[in-house]
Amino acid sequence: MKEKKMTHPVQKGVLSVLMNGILILFSLSCIFPIIWMIYSSLKEKRAFNANIIGLPKEPTLINYIRILSNSDYHLGESMWNSVRTTGLSIILIVLFSFIVGYILARVSFKGNRLLYMMFLMGMLIPIHSLLVPIYVVFKNCNMSNQWFTLLFPYVSFGLPMGIFLMEGYVKGIPVSLEEAAAIDGSSFSHTLWHIILPICKPILITIAIIQVFSCWNEFSFALVLIKDVHLQTVPLALTQFKGQFASDYPKQMAAMLITMSPIVVLYFAFSKQIIKGMVAGAVKG
Amino acid sequence: MLNSIKPKKSTILLYLLVPVAMFVFTVFVPLVTAFVYSFFEWKGGPVKTFTGLTNYVTLFHDSTFWEAFGHNIYLVVACIIGQIGIAFILVMMINSKLVKLKGMHRTFGFFPSTISAVCIGLIWNMIYHNQYGVLNWFLKSIGRDDLCKVWLNEPKLVMMLVSIPLIWQFIGYYMIIMLSAISSIDTEVFESAEIDGANGVQRAIYITLPLIKNTMLVCITLCIAGNMKAFDNIFVMTKGGPGTASMVMAMYGYQVSFNQSNMGYGSCISVGIFVLSLIVIGGSQALIKYITREKEA
Repeated sequence: MKEKKMTHPVQKGVLSVLMNGILILFSLSCIFPIIWMIYSSLKEKRAFNANIIGLPKEPTLINYIRILSNSDYHLGESMWNSVRTTGLSIILIVLFSFIVGYILARVSFKGNRLLYMMFLMGMLIPIHSLLVPIYVVFKNCNMSNQWFTLLFPYVSFGLPMGIFLMEGYVKGIPVSLEEAAAIDGSSFSHTLWHIILPICKPILITIAIIQVFSCWNEFSFALVLIKDVHLQTVPLALTQFKGQFASDYPKQMAAMLITMSPIVVLYFAFSKQIIKGMVAGAVKG
Repeated sequence: MLNSIKPKKSTILLYLLVPVAMFVFTVFVPLVTAFVYSFFEWKGGPVKTFTGLTNYVTLFHDSTFWEAFGHNIYLVVACIIGQIGIAFILVMMINSKLVKLKGMHRTFGFFPSTISAVCIGLIWNMIYHNQYGVLNWFLKSIGRDDLCKVWLNEPKLVMMLVSIPLIWQFIGYYMIIMLSAISSIDTEVFESAEIDGANGVQRAIYITLPLIKNTMLVCITLCIAGNMKAFDNIFVMTKGGPGTASMVMAMYGYQVSFNQSNMGYGSCISVGIFVLSLIVIGGSQALIKYITREKEA
């Protein structure tokens, strides 16, 4: 008994070093690739090929300048396409989730549950099986290769979770609130926009956070629906760089860092809220 | 339900019209279209010939498709073990009182899951590259030049190599989900277990695991659904190659439809993906329910 107590602090020490070590190694592995890319993108191709892991001896911004100044790469254009597509998608997803979620939670009409089931099914449908058919439908309707094309899949695939979260949230709001508003003469629309909207802000922000990442990063539907290089979103443009700078890693890294920068900045600025929002979405959805 | 204000039917209809129309057009119309075209031979041109079930018969005997399905299952299993297993171990460590920098581990660990699969694929392509890759650099620096390879050209290794980035990317994601589940457990439970002499491993298996069972099931479901749709990573890293050694279902559907412009058969594959994914997801749910029910009884 005495012996056990003696060795306990030592064991504890070893265990503590081991666990902290493993976790730090894990955290570093998550962050290492981006750090490697940041300093490697400051090297010239020759310097990188000579020593892939070393720090740059003569840091230079030449890769960034070359990528951004060469209009053949369309990087600025694809950034703008991604920003526009993501921004509009988020606005529509939040707006539609708010409206549909509220109506499904509070207004009784024929087909209410049917509609709810339909959107719920949207979460269960394996959307990647739509990859080929969506191309066929959009092509037939002359809707592929337009600036608004990607809004359709992004909004539609984001809606089910948004509606689901919103519906659950509204059910937690006491009905007496709206009844009081009605007695005061507030119309349905007035109640919706002036009373319910402010209350639902937290859940709407959560919905927006979840969708920012999935819209900005979405690749497969953009690949199928967009053929025009001037309409490419960022992930599409990156796969082209891969071919163009096959052996020029520093340049590829610089391009990737430019396209990742909005997400990275957003993440490290609001990591707590983002993590919370994503978890809420995953668990409740 | 709201009774005091009865909004006009036309108001409700107006509000619902656009979102519902958009949703139906992008989700249900393609589904029906795929089903219809799967009965046709159609090479993308104006000619479509009705061939009945021919496409389905071909699909049934298509060894590449079933190989791709097998690879999807491989990814699902690898990721359940790799992501959820490793995440659980890390969560247990983070919850220990001995560990410092918890906030940093959360923030850094979650970071890769916010990056696009395309970037992750490109980064790992660089890591695996035979000339400029970190992996071969590492092998050389420990003096094992003989182990250096053109990694992604090895048919036997390629599935393992493409699943490593997938696992790595989402460990933090599952870690965070589990951490948030554990934080809602009353700490008294752990304290009394510690007083009773349960060690860390025992506490993890007999106390934490049963208490976060539902969250674990959510994680497993997310993992299955996520890997049945694997496409982006594969597209960027190997395009299904070498040969068909890393082909997954969505990649195969894409190749048949767009590279061979065999839209009829591509639609048939889409229906196949749809049905198989639903079966796998539904089947695993039923299986999990069955197993957990037996344990309780």
